[in-house]
Amino acid sequence: MDDDYLSFEEEEEEEEDNYEDYYNDDHAHEEVSSKKSTSQIITKESLVLAQKEVLARVMELLSVKENQARTLLIHYQWNVNKLIGVYGDRGKDSLFKSAGLTVFDPSLISSRKRKTMSCDICIEDDIPSSAMTRMECGHCFCNDCWKEHFTVNINEGKSKRITCMAHKCNAICDEDVVRKLVSPELAEKFDRFLVESYVEDNKMVKWCPSTPHCGNAIRKAEEDEEVEVECSCGLQFCFSCLSESHSPCSCLMWKLWRKKCEDESETVNWITVHTRVCPKCNKPVHRSDGCNLMTCICGQHFCWLCGGATGRDHTWTSISGHSCGRYKEDKVRQMERAKRDLNRYTHYYYHFKAHTDSSKLEDKRRKSILEKAEFISEKNDQLVFKDLTWLTDGVDLLFRSRRILSYSYPFAFYMFGEELFKDEMSDLDREMKKNLFEDQQQQLEGNVERLSKILEEPFDEYSEDDIKMMKNQLKFLCPVIDNLCKEMYKCIENDLLGPTQAGINHSIAPYRSKGIEKAIEFCADIC
Amino acid sequence: MIDFSRVQKELQDCEKDKDASGIRVSPKSDNLTRLTGTIPGPIGTPYEGGTFQIDITIPEGYPFEPPKMQFSTKVWHPNISSQSGAICLDVLKDQWSPALTLKTALVSIQALLSTPEPKDPQDAVVAEQYIKNYQVFVSTARYWTETFAKNSSLEEKVKRLVEMGFGDAQVRSAIESSGGDENLALEKLCSG
Repeated sequence: MDDDYLSFEEEEEEEEDNYEDYYNDDHAHEEVSSKKSTSQIITKESLVLAQKEVLARVMELLSVKENQARTLLIHYQWNVNKLIGVYGDRGKDSLFKSAGLTVFDPSLISSRKRKTMSCDICIEDDIPSSAMTRMECGHCFCNDCWKEHFTVNINEGKSKRITCMAHKCNAICDEDVVRKLVSPELAEKFDRFLVESYVEDNKMVKWCPSTPHCGNAIRKAEEDEEVEVECSCGLQFCFSCLSESHSPCSCLMWKLWRKKCEDESETVNWITVHTRVCPKCNKPVHRSDGCNLMTCICGQHFCWLCGGATGRDHTWTSISGHSCGRYKEDKVRQMERAKRDLNRYTHYYYHFKAHTDSSKLEDKRRKSILEKAEFISEKNDQLVFKDLTWLTDGVDLLFRSRRILSYSYPFAFYMFGEELFKDEMSDLDREMKKNLFEDQQQQLEGNVERLSKILEEPFDEYSEDDIKMMKNQLKFLCPVIDNLCKEMYKCIENDLLGPTQAGINHSIAPYRSKGIEKAIEFCADIC
Repeated sequence: MIDFSRVQKELQDCEKDKDASGIRVSPKSDNLTRLTGTIPGPIGTPYEGGTFQIDITIPEGYPFEPPKMQFSTKVWHPNISSQSGAICLDVLKDQWSPALTLKTALVSIQALLSTPEPKDPQDAVVAEQYIKNYQVFVSTARYWTETFAKNSSLEEKVKRLVEMGFGDAQVRSAIESSGGDENLALEKLCSG
């Protein structure tokens, strides 16, 4: 087994190099991430503030009122850059028109001011003008009708785009008028819809998929970035498909895999391969061994090859009064195929499951390892026991690499299977790439198991020398594992998905030495 | 909840110019929630000369929600179901505005008869025929108008032609091939 990973003695020099690389890399990474903004957590409380921040930007840039800014932003799905782009390219009038905003020109109607007016909706005359409201588009109806119109729209969930009542008028109603005319409960509902639009219509922001819901939303830092994030509630998830983080599996692969695992299709496959349906009682019958003449518990005799009912007399090669003929061949081929597919799936599922289970066990053990670490650092005075970051880093890396390992199996299942990449590679090509990937997988596997074993030892009983030894082992092993993970991602990107046509449908959240990005609390900076 | 005063006013309004527009709306029941609309087939279309009846149901939220309308007279049209009479028309769905009325909705339906939208079909069979074989569509639509939307029914025409001395089956196929037009059928029968 030692062949699978680098052994200590042989690679004394490289150890130092790797070690340096690993830590240098870390620092480089920190610098980069401090420049680049990170994902942010938007809590229930900061949601209004986060929205206000964007609103303020648009209000200042275009010198518009808050309600107008909101209408524009909802129309442009809170994408300020796009909004500003349209403003720059086509001007304010076009921008306003496309979003359903009109600028009111009071001079148009001032001359027509009368004491009573008529409403075209309820067809009532003699309504005092004080009970009528004119929207910015110029259309004027009575308050009762407006109120009814707003109520219907809010209840139908159309708060974000309540248009004017006039036919073919696409103007968006002033939110202040809506709030003023509807009941207080409904106004609250209306406001909630408007605020939540910031999350629901915004490609950059998504609700954390935790159940029960933690109430947070996450805003990602870069628009076209494939990311996995960790919410403050502890949930790590894929920003694109909102399921658990699954890199290096792509979202599509993960979706198919989950469905496959949940489905009974494999059970059905097993039944097809291993049983025949009795022609009389229709129960599936399993043949443990023996000849092709089957006898069901209901007493019916039938042929194992074709499933047809037969008589009692038979020899080892034929059954009297019965011949399956050519039909048999197709049936056998079909069975063999189903059998092969089932074996293939079982292989990948077994490894996926084994690593997922290990990961769960290690997660439970994590606490005890950290307790042990605390214990030895309190008990001992020597310097080596004081700074135990190498140990906690090792524990973190174990979980990360274990997860990557388990998700690499469904990845391989689809990458080298026929479902998604059938015509993308020749058989030879596929075999070569599969070997390359599996070699990497196995190297990583060997080293992860080794790390797991080291961390499992009762190091709280270790002497100073033992601890030093353990530290050295970890200092060597961690960069190796980190590097193997990087290599695996590189291989996926450059050799596997990259050259394929279908690869475009499979973006994968990149590997990060520091682990899945932890989103930070949002803090508004309205300047 | 339903604003009956508005429905009442709309009915009066319709009554006033029914001769000019040809559009009528009359209540089916006492409470004004179920009405019947009548529109004449537009001139210059296969529906010309027919009178089409439309079932109208007034919903709770009217006029803030659109009225429900469907043909009770059978119609051969890409945007109207030949089975149920359901209508595919934007103003009856998301383009409804409280400023519209029963009458304007009926006018829109009448306009739909003149300008079918086969690319947004309600009845796929009709739409396919409209696109692929327009002539057959026109004669089928005309035949349906003659058969279902005119007072003089098919049976009456058959009866009259049979009385002239032609065979029953012969008469029926002649009427069908001439799109329900009695005179055209007679010409065909005479010419051979």
